[in-house]
Amino acid sequence: MIGSFVGAAANSVRLLLPALFPSWRFFDVIGPSPRIEVALLQTSDDAGNDWHEVRPRAERLGVAGYLRTFFFNARWNETLFLVTCAEGVIRDESDQPLREIRDRLRADLSRDAGGSAAPWFRFRIVLLSRDAGRVRRDVVFTSPAYTIADGAGP
Amino acid sequence: MSAEAAIRLTEILLAIAFIQKSVEHVFGLPDERLYFLPLAALSLLLLVGIERDLVCYALLVNALFILHRFQGPYNGGSDLLGYLILVCLCLTHAAPDPRWREYALAYLALQPILSYFKSGWSKAVHRDWWTGQALLDVFDFSVYPVSDAIRTRFKGSGLLAAMSWTVILFELAFPLALLSRDVLIVALALAAAFHIANFLLFGFNRFVWIWVAGYPAILWLQDRLVGAGIPVFSG
Repeated sequence: MIGSFVGAAANSVRLLLPALFPSWRFFDVIGPSPRIEVALLQTSDDAGNDWHEVRPRAERLGVAGYLRTFFFNARWNETLFLVTCAEGVIRDESDQPLREIRDRLRADLSRDAGGSAAPWFRFRIVLLSRDAGRVRRDVVFTSPAYTIADGAGP
Repeated sequence: MSAEAAIRLTEILLAIAFIQKSVEHVFGLPDERLYFLPLAALSLLLLVGIERDLVCYALLVNALFILHRFQGPYNGGSDLLGYLILVCLCLTHAAPDPRWREYALAYLALQPILSYFKSGWSKAVHRDWWTGQALLDVFDFSVYPVSDAIRTRFKGSGLLAAMSWTVILFELAFPLALLSRDVLIVALALAAAFHIANFLLFGFNRFVWIWVAGYPAILWLQDRLVGAGIPVFSG
């Protein structure tokens, strides 16, 4: 108990270090950019063939939209966090980013399903990059199947 | 500006930035409220100015819990600068004498200055930034453009190279603004406009709130190093 608390505290301090000595290299190199896509499934064995980009961006933001998001931009900031998690999944850091994506997609799908009969979902990560002047797409990760209902399965 | 005035202004602006992000997280996953409701409450105390030193220490403990929760910063650079400012405020309160207090405040001031200069430098050493290709890639396939209209508007625009040059030169030149208080005020206004432009293009609203919180320390540092110590705020 005490050991795990000390370990967690030490880990938090380690995570704080980049804030104390920041590198401040914003946008220096524009590397491959991950997108998360999701497919609804009837069974956990379905591979998924109807993929949709998660949280597609707005067509345009008007003055009211900009005013609102200047003060409250939770959804967009969470979307950017999902991209950070996708990068973590690609680097195979730990289970944490995978869980973050799963839980946030599960919340989205539970809210937006609107009576959809599909009880399962998978997500995949697609990397967009420039290749010989064109934008190419590579699927670099596909998740296991998860239940949409929290606690009803993996 | 006195050190005390700069510290108090920084506390007020940091508290506002923390309240803003807390409100966003209260509508996130249910467990996030455990971390961000206390952050909002502590930030309100800091805003009002109650037990400022103890509140800063409590905010730092809260920050460690939040870092543990997300296994790192949730919102990249904006979280990093927020934590840096918070640590420096804690050090100003814990400092054994005014000299150490000034060292902590100077470190706080230095980081936003470095954030501009180092960002400019890291772009300047890449040819793609000078040609506009890097910004073209940002608008072409990065995740950041906040709407399809923004992505389409700037894709292939002839403005991109000019925008790149402007950003690089402004970021590299920013430290020179410390030589004059008037120039520094103009530079800080331009820097704030730059963050607002980043919000309009990429939705980075939290960066606006948190970077502005670093400005009082920069104004203090300029006064301390170069200026005549014009009293702007009586703390």
